[in-house]
Amino acid sequence: TTEIYTRSIVGSVRCVQETGFPIFRTMDLEGNVSDSKYEILDKPTLIKLFDIMVTERESDRIALNMHRQNRITFYFSHLYEEAVGPAIGAAIKDEDKIVLQYREQGILLWRGFSIQEILHTVKGSNKDHAKGKALACHYSIPKIGVLPLSAPIGSKIGHGAGLGYAFRTQKEDKIAVTFMGEGAASQGDFHAGLNFAATLGSQTLFVCRNNCYAISTPIEDQYAGDGVAPRCIGYGMPAIKVDGCDPLAIAYATKHARQMIMERKGPVFMEVYGYRGGDHSTSDSAPLYRTKEVLAKLKPYLDAIGDPIIRLGKYLEKKGYLANYKEQMDKVGKAAVAECHKYAKEMDETPYPEYKTMFEDVYSYTPQNLQEQMEQLDAHIKKFPEFYPLSDFKKKQSLFNLTCLLYTSPSPRDQRGSRMPSSA
Amino acid sequence: VSTQSTWGFQESKDMMKVFQLSTRITRFTLLARVFSAGPPPLKMDFSEKVNTKEVTLKNPDKLKKMNICQAVNNAMDIALATIPKSYVFGEDVKFGGVFRCTVGLNEKYGTDRVFNTPLSEQGILGFSVGLAAAGCTPICEIQFGDYIFPAFDQFHNEVAKYRYRSAGLYNVGGITCRCSYGAVGHGGHYHSQAPEAHFMHTAGLTVVIPRSPIQAKGLLLGSIRSPDPIIFFEPKILYRMAEDMVPEEDYTLPIGKAEVLQEGKDITMIGYGASIRQLMMASKMAEEKGIKCEIIDLRTIIPYDIETIEKSVKKTGRLLITHEGPVTSGAGAEIAAKIQERCFLSLKAPIARVCGFDTPFPFVYEPFYLPNRFKIFESTLKLMEFQLKQYISIQSVSYTHLTLPTKAQVQISVVAVSLKKKPT
Repeated sequence: TTEIYTRSIVGSVRCVQETGFPIFRTMDLEGNVSDSKYEILDKPTLIKLFDIMVTERESDRIALNMHRQNRITFYFSHLYEEAVGPAIGAAIKDEDKIVLQYREQGILLWRGFSIQEILHTVKGSNKDHAKGKALACHYSIPKIGVLPLSAPIGSKIGHGAGLGYAFRTQKEDKIAVTFMGEGAASQGDFHAGLNFAATLGSQTLFVCRNNCYAISTPIEDQYAGDGVAPRCIGYGMPAIKVDGCDPLAIAYATKHARQMIMERKGPVFMEVYGYRGGDHSTSDSAPLYRTKEVLAKLKPYLDAIGDPIIRLGKYLEKKGYLANYKEQMDKVGKAAVAECHKYAKEMDETPYPEYKTMFEDVYSYTPQNLQEQMEQLDAHIKKFPEFYPLSDFKKKQSLFNLTCLLYTSPSPRDQRGSRMPSSA
Repeated sequence: VSTQSTWGFQESKDMMKVFQLSTRITRFTLLARVFSAGPPPLKMDFSEKVNTKEVTLKNPDKLKKMNICQAVNNAMDIALATIPKSYVFGEDVKFGGVFRCTVGLNEKYGTDRVFNTPLSEQGILGFSVGLAAAGCTPICEIQFGDYIFPAFDQFHNEVAKYRYRSAGLYNVGGITCRCSYGAVGHGGHYHSQAPEAHFMHTAGLTVVIPRSPIQAKGLLLGSIRSPDPIIFFEPKILYRMAEDMVPEEDYTLPIGKAEVLQEGKDITMIGYGASIRQLMMASKMAEEKGIKCEIIDLRTIIPYDIETIEKSVKKTGRLLITHEGPVTSGAGAEIAAKIQERCFLSLKAPIARVCGFDTPFPFVYEPFYLPNRFKIFESTLKLMEFQLKQYISIQSVSYTHLTLPTKAQVQISVVAVSLKKKPT
């Protein structure tokens, strides 16, 4: 295997160690696997993995375009990190629960969450299972074991520790996979969560996606040490660094991590090295801080890790599972784009849930103060209906209606983060 | 080490004086020991019986003398026995707890279920969220209410919003966070705080504060079994001081309902926790002046039972709220605002809040800081003496009866009002 020492390539020059923790990879940039023992996934799984990665990349691209058309308000892209989610999904069991940060949509696709459902969640329409209450891309999907996402960074690391502890003490053959970024690993919740998991014994797999950036903060401004995995020596748990653009390495490491977790009844940590190819989100513009000079400095690292889809494609060609990976990319990509367009139209036409839904699920019942506030809002809206976008919450909306909105007085919704000209 | 080799006659006389003085001081302080800060309490029996309107006991004769500590221990014992997926944990919980509330539980239920956590409140709550999301019932302990703040992000952003952001698909209703609370006589800044006001502003949380052992056991069992996450503040000064004949069986008291402890026609007094004792003593003092006070124990601070309070204020026309926490933006502020919205015309005097000052909780000045029965009594007198007619000149009056009306029959419609004298 080609070992990459991140210290020498990407920042972290203040680290006191002479050499860094080595990074585990099984496959080089041309798809040559160093040892056949690393080939634990069979052909259907690998093809599915490849297809899901391509679908993720293409649907991300369409979703970003839709954001520019103001059809969705917010989105995260996963450029160059498409391998992490599906590869981990392939190596864990279906019963295992997942605690996401936010850049792991691939694992949802792997587990069967469809593009249609993603689009409805991103919009917050009345077909969204979370009924439009959570910010876009903040999923909570019990049918595939995904716990409710929330925006505060790092707060869910402790949840993973608690989940894993419940699984251990209830003697269940399940683990809790908890994702985070390298920025989240600076939070106090990271320290508390890992310490609790290791000390009390939680069946948790912590996965840190080190993608070199936390919004605009590069890793030189995030930590002085050798990444995140070496901290686990202090917590008393096994840790590994994995090449994040090598799906085989991720799957292999995850499978063995899961075995280790069940054997030692304690957590394991995996730091997955990748690169955040796109912006942090649709509210960010990476070229502001990722200038040509910065990219020139990062070039050796980016050249070393490459593109996960191309690497896997080359491997599949070498194995004979695919005749031509570029053709497969085209085919799957086109299908993904078509599906996006089909469901985007449906998404546009589906209204948001009723505004009364805003008052539900604060408690398991509706307390008196919320009942009163709901009645007050009802009475107010009856008096001033023209100032509220009731049609978006009632009637179906089509692209035609949307263009008409340009010529009507802008409602509060249109003005929020809108890129359309405001009173045209 | 003393430099004197022998005690002379003069020195031993001085030592005798010191000894006599110290015994006199000890004897005096033993009298004042019960309330270490402030004057000794009135001789009153604060012990209670079970309110048969709220709970029907199966064995009403099987009672045992318990203080709040033992009642809480009993409640947790019952919870651990009847709920298989329940856990009790926190700092120092295993050996019995610093307040001895978890004595014997680890020996009975094992370290998987009753255990120490590392010293991290944010970790304790994050861990609890994970356990509750897995369907378990974590009964966590925060040693002092003063230290609940590292966990505040978890409470505010995770616990409170879990059900809401997943539109009811997930919830962490299993969480019950027990916390010691309030002044103890010598606590100073960090062992005396009353932080309930900080949690009132978070939609989705429930805060419960008991006043006595019977209430503590019933409310704790009610909180543990509630489908919503609850913070249970236990007044630490009453841990050993409050004693009742508590039923040994499993009973729950309702969450979200205030209790009218004493009926009266002149003034409504609201309090919770240890303040109830001050209210009862103050009402005894007021009764000597012929003032009949109605005392309401709020019990659930948020969402609070406005209907009980409103009904009482409409009857008496005067409201006094007391709590240990600072007066600005405390629970009293919220209740006062709500009552003036709903009962403005029923009020005969402005609403009084007898609360702590807007300072951090002081160490030696506690007797001056706390809202005690003298401050409550003074406020009561002020409210009773408040005459609206001092401030308003009634410019025209219309009588609805032709006969000479008695006070009860006159309906004064105040057509024009001008302030004759600036109210002080």
